[in-house]
Amino acid sequence: MVDLVLDRDIRIWVFLPIVLLTFLLGVVKHYVSILITTTRKPELQQVYDSQALIRVRYLRENGKFLPLKSFLMRKHYFNDEDSGWLKTQNRPAPASNPMQDPGMMTEMLKGNLINVIPMIVIGGWINWTFSGFLTTKVPFPLTLRFKPMLQRGIELVSLDASWVSSASWYFLNLFGLRSIYALVLGEDNAADSTDAMQEQMTGAAMKITDPKAAFKAEWEALEVVEHKWMLANVEEDLCSKPLF
Amino acid sequence: MSETKVRKSKEPSGETIVLSDTAMRHNTSVLSFTRTTVSVLSGCSAGILGLTSLYGFLFYFVTALILWAMLVVKNHNSWQKFLKSRFTFLTHSLLGGLFTYILFWTFSYGMVHVY
Repeated sequence: MVDLVLDRDIRIWVFLPIVLLTFLLGVVKHYVSILITTTRKPELQQVYDSQALIRVRYLRENGKFLPLKSFLMRKHYFNDEDSGWLKTQNRPAPASNPMQDPGMMTEMLKGNLINVIPMIVIGGWINWTFSGFLTTKVPFPLTLRFKPMLQRGIELVSLDASWVSSASWYFLNLFGLRSIYALVLGEDNAADSTDAMQEQMTGAAMKITDPKAAFKAEWEALEVVEHKWMLANVEEDLCSKPLF
Repeated sequence: MSETKVRKSKEPSGETIVLSDTAMRHNTSVLSFTRTTVSVLSGCSAGILGLTSLYGFLFYFVTALILWAMLVVKNHNSWQKFLKSRFTFLTHSLLGGLFTYILFWTFSYGMVHVY
């Protein structure tokens, strides 16, 4: 079956080191990023605002579990035209350009430092040290389309497409070890850079950029909520069900 | 985030089921963990056994089915507590697990059979 015999030293000095290097570098990247990222301390006013907004949202979503009177009392507290909390709060408009915030700039720089520099340096180093080897063979046949992907650095027309060169083996590891990092380092690890984007999208609730607009939006949303009592026949429901 | 978000869904019978978002997310992440572990183990064993081409891919799906059977047997009367559908045990991150499987399959196959 094997039509090409590779030197056994390649296994020990090229094939294994690339796997170990990519894995351990991911671990190092994770801990370095823990070391150099500083958690930004939120201001008291911001925390106050965001907690109030979360409270409004809870009232909006779960208000139907409250008695009508309680719901209306809370709604009045937040939404009354003259004395409602959302109407009376005045916050200054935020700084127009986030790029001018020096704290933000350092954060972005650190993010680039962790993600881009190791990519270039380590990738270059591995290409330079381990270039030109055939390392392994994928155990399934592939079409010729895969040749440039799997045989980077080796231009041999007659070679079967399922052989993998050292540079491509590095890239396969780089992308394939992602789920292993999740296993070893936990869910929110820094070795995996794709999750960082989603994190920013979902974590936005804690930092509001423009409190005034957020208050207005919540005010409108709460204004249109109608109270629909969910626990109308809760006694019958609970008593009719078996305990287990 | 630590806050508990509540999601509701209507059943055909008209009953309202209240689900906790945090708990659901935890369940799926546990499921991903088992998927990755099983993919790594089955990839290594497929490589050491020397399975090639179609047999290797079949082996992955067979191990996925075995994992599913094990999970279903273990939770046979309480799975409603954890997930909405029993098939989520089978389908969750099946393709992501396949990539992990291929990497470890290639790795152990290369270590044992190529040289």
